[in-house]
Amino acid sequence: MATHALAPATTAYRTGLYEWLTTTDHKKIGIMYVINSFLFFLIGGFFALGVRAELAQPGLQIFSDEHVYNEFFSIHATVMIFLFIIPMLAGLGNYAVPLMIGAPDMAFPRVNALSFWMLPLGGLLLLSGFLTQGGAAAAGWTSYPPLSEVGPTKSPGPGQDLWIVALTLIGTSSILGGINFLVTIFKMRAPGMTLFRMPIMVWTILVTSVLVVMATPVLTSALVMLFIDRNYGGHFFDPSFGGNAVLYQNVFWFYSHPAVYVMVLPAMGIVSEVLPVFTRKPLFGYKAFIFATAGIGALGFSVWAHHMFTTGAVFLPFFSLMTFLIAVPTGVKMFNWVATMWRGKISFSTPMLFAVGFLAMFLIGGINGAFSAAVPVDFALHDTYFVVAHLHYVLFGGSVFGVFAGIYYWFPKMTGRLLDETLGKVHFVIMIIGFNLTFFPMHMLGLQGMPRRIADYASNAGWNDWNLVASIGGFIIAASILPFIWNVFISLRNGKIAGDDPWEGNTLEWATSSPPPPYNFDRLPEIRSERPLFDVRHGRLDHGDATA
Amino acid sequence: MSSSPRRRIAPEAVIAAVVVILLVVLVPLVVYSKIGESLFPPDAVTKQAQDVRSLYNIVFAIAVAIFVAVEGLIVWSVIRYRRKPGDDELPAQTHGNTLIEIIWTAIPTVIVLFLFGLSFNTLATVDAVGNNPDIRIHAVAQQFQWTFEYLDQNGNKVATQTIPTAAEGGGMAVPVGKNVLVTLDSPDVIHAFYVPRFLFKRDVIPGQTNRFQFTIDPSEATDGHPEILSGQCAELCGTGHRTMLFNVIAMSQNDYDAWLQALITKSNATPPPAPSVGAGATLNVTAQNIAFDTKSLTVAAGQPFAIDFVNKDPAGVDHNIQIRDASGNVIADPPLTDGGQSATYTYQALPPGTYTFICKVHPIAAMTGTLTVH
Repeated sequence: MATHALAPATTAYRTGLYEWLTTTDHKKIGIMYVINSFLFFLIGGFFALGVRAELAQPGLQIFSDEHVYNEFFSIHATVMIFLFIIPMLAGLGNYAVPLMIGAPDMAFPRVNALSFWMLPLGGLLLLSGFLTQGGAAAAGWTSYPPLSEVGPTKSPGPGQDLWIVALTLIGTSSILGGINFLVTIFKMRAPGMTLFRMPIMVWTILVTSVLVVMATPVLTSALVMLFIDRNYGGHFFDPSFGGNAVLYQNVFWFYSHPAVYVMVLPAMGIVSEVLPVFTRKPLFGYKAFIFATAGIGALGFSVWAHHMFTTGAVFLPFFSLMTFLIAVPTGVKMFNWVATMWRGKISFSTPMLFAVGFLAMFLIGGINGAFSAAVPVDFALHDTYFVVAHLHYVLFGGSVFGVFAGIYYWFPKMTGRLLDETLGKVHFVIMIIGFNLTFFPMHMLGLQGMPRRIADYASNAGWNDWNLVASIGGFIIAASILPFIWNVFISLRNGKIAGDDPWEGNTLEWATSSPPPPYNFDRLPEIRSERPLFDVRHGRLDHGDATA
Repeated sequence: MSSSPRRRIAPEAVIAAVVVILLVVLVPLVVYSKIGESLFPPDAVTKQAQDVRSLYNIVFAIAVAIFVAVEGLIVWSVIRYRRKPGDDELPAQTHGNTLIEIIWTAIPTVIVLFLFGLSFNTLATVDAVGNNPDIRIHAVAQQFQWTFEYLDQNGNKVATQTIPTAAEGGGMAVPVGKNVLVTLDSPDVIHAFYVPRFLFKRDVIPGQTNRFQFTIDPSEATDGHPEILSGQCAELCGTGHRTMLFNVIAMSQNDYDAWLQALITKSNATPPPAPSVGAGATLNVTAQNIAFDTKSLTVAAGQPFAIDFVNKDPAGVDHNIQIRDASGNVIADPPLTDGGQSATYTYQALPPGTYTFICKVHPIAAMTGTLTVH
């Protein structure tokens, strides 16, 4: 047995723990990203259930100390954003992008491993705040100073410092990953894979990587300034010493608004891969879709202050106009997706169900966002549960449904086995019901004046019924995860053998075995359009390049 | 040619008919039911809020139209274009259509520019601050208490309302039909002044004085019938965030004049002499990090008692120890003690029972305990 580790690997995945811990294979790193992110999804979900359990009824039932409640929602959002959605999509990209462009691996495999391993480290640092005096960070995931500064009634404990260090690590991981994606996409494409033949998933990862590389250092600057304020007597954000509290918000949102697109664009990419495959049609308006993606990326840098309309410190008309305008490329994409299904022949396997769920739910998240773009309406809705509804329709109805579409879609490629269709459908149905029960009533709560981030509310405020509905919905979402976990567990052992191409896919990852060998491809098909495998199956039906 | 005189109804027509009927039934059902009502903000009480509400209604109408149209197209596609078992023929491979793509780029652009114009217009009235307000109020938000200072036309303070809620006999009273200018300041962290029925909020930011103006509709209050509006802090400000409640009380001009006069009198009055300490016990309570060091106190019934209170929080963080009975009525409300100071609070004899002792400024769990009198 001592020689086992030295023996050459005979198959791709039947190797030991050591192999996984030291791998630089983008596929294994991608799978570890996915598993790690899913574990943090469960952790973030646990905190969300704590919040919903507390709010189910007026009165304090779960938390005797509001401070712990504040820790719960702060860590819920931080975990879900920075340790689940962003790395989950980066992980799916990590798995899919080299395969989709016909590359043997990422451009910098060791940097790739480094970016992954920073994530569990950052996550553990963040959560270790719960073990410190004063608990984990409790100033919200936005951590606005002066509340996040040191002070007996502000954020005295080391939990806030751990939050800063964790986010800096995770941010560094994102930057390294972003640079790696950019170099991979620009330098490693197979012959024939021109930019305008790349799968949309690759395009969305490309634009996302530009956002990450440009915006994340700005977040890091905000975090470093806050850290200096807290630990070395700085006063960047402390007004009592001439600092400016709103400065932090500007710097923070300059990253964190583009971060919304970091969380949504790759999910749009997944949906844009799944829809054509299961409708047996090309994506409608391939080039328009790419320009819309680039447009969202560019406009995404000019809308950050729409999180700050009520501060009285930003130029309202400009940010309102840009926020309205960003709805246009988003709308174009929605029409492209619908037109892709139009007159198609749609089969509803689980990836397709989640993709259609994405369309139906993300639409609501787009529309209810327009309310807050109208500044006077935002004066009424800002920092109420309406905003909580909006952001969850975007990040759960959008990103999370997209993530599950991607997991069901690529699971057979990753493991060689298909997930069970019945359990997948059960998962989808329970999840979409629970999701709407949880988040739709939050529109009503917000309109009726319920602010975010409160541990309790008066029983005569008129918020009891919808809060109870939302809490029941929250636990239904949690229940929907169980069939998924069970599905993964049994399918890994007994799932149907997938074969190379179980879905009749369009893109190159389906041209290799499932799971693919190290370095991915023995040989590649000709690449003459954005659907090389479709061309192999059906021949070139039209001889133009992908049209607008 | 078919010999049947009746044509088969196309499946499209059936689906379309079902969708149309559902919409015709469902939309009015939702709009005119209680659920429909809760899709709108509460009744607007200020002139500014009425403008916001009109804007909301337009945005809402457009939103519903877009939702029904696009969600309808999605549902339609899902139902109509299912792949039938055994159908291996490819559908038409449509890559795009330049004209239709230009149209569906142009139409949303026109809609959002229209909405931007409308909201820009409304913003001009909602956000306007004139030079000659009728009433000036300086609202100070601090962890976790609102204070409302009433100012004269020169900006000099005439009276201070330290009790923020109507339930405790306080609140921010304003006359209806008058221009009220509110300036906002915070000495500690960011808060937000939010009254849902104003359809408005504004952040209260340390180091930056924000201001806004409002006029409450004259029909909201008549002599002797004030309208109490609830408000609360809307920006996370720490442990006691949810307890930062306040009321705006809309009054007729006559009621307001009397109310303000009473507040001025109260502000000028000397505090009543403290009741003398009887034979009862003296207890010790310390406050630190916005928390009492004890959760329960016990005293004998029918005897006055005292609490030696030490506030170990930094200067600027005030506490006191209120006593409330089982139904929440405030029985004793001694003066505040600043951080770093201590005081001896004396209390009247109480009948047997269970009471709550609580910090008036921080009515949170960590500063709440049970006082048992037996």
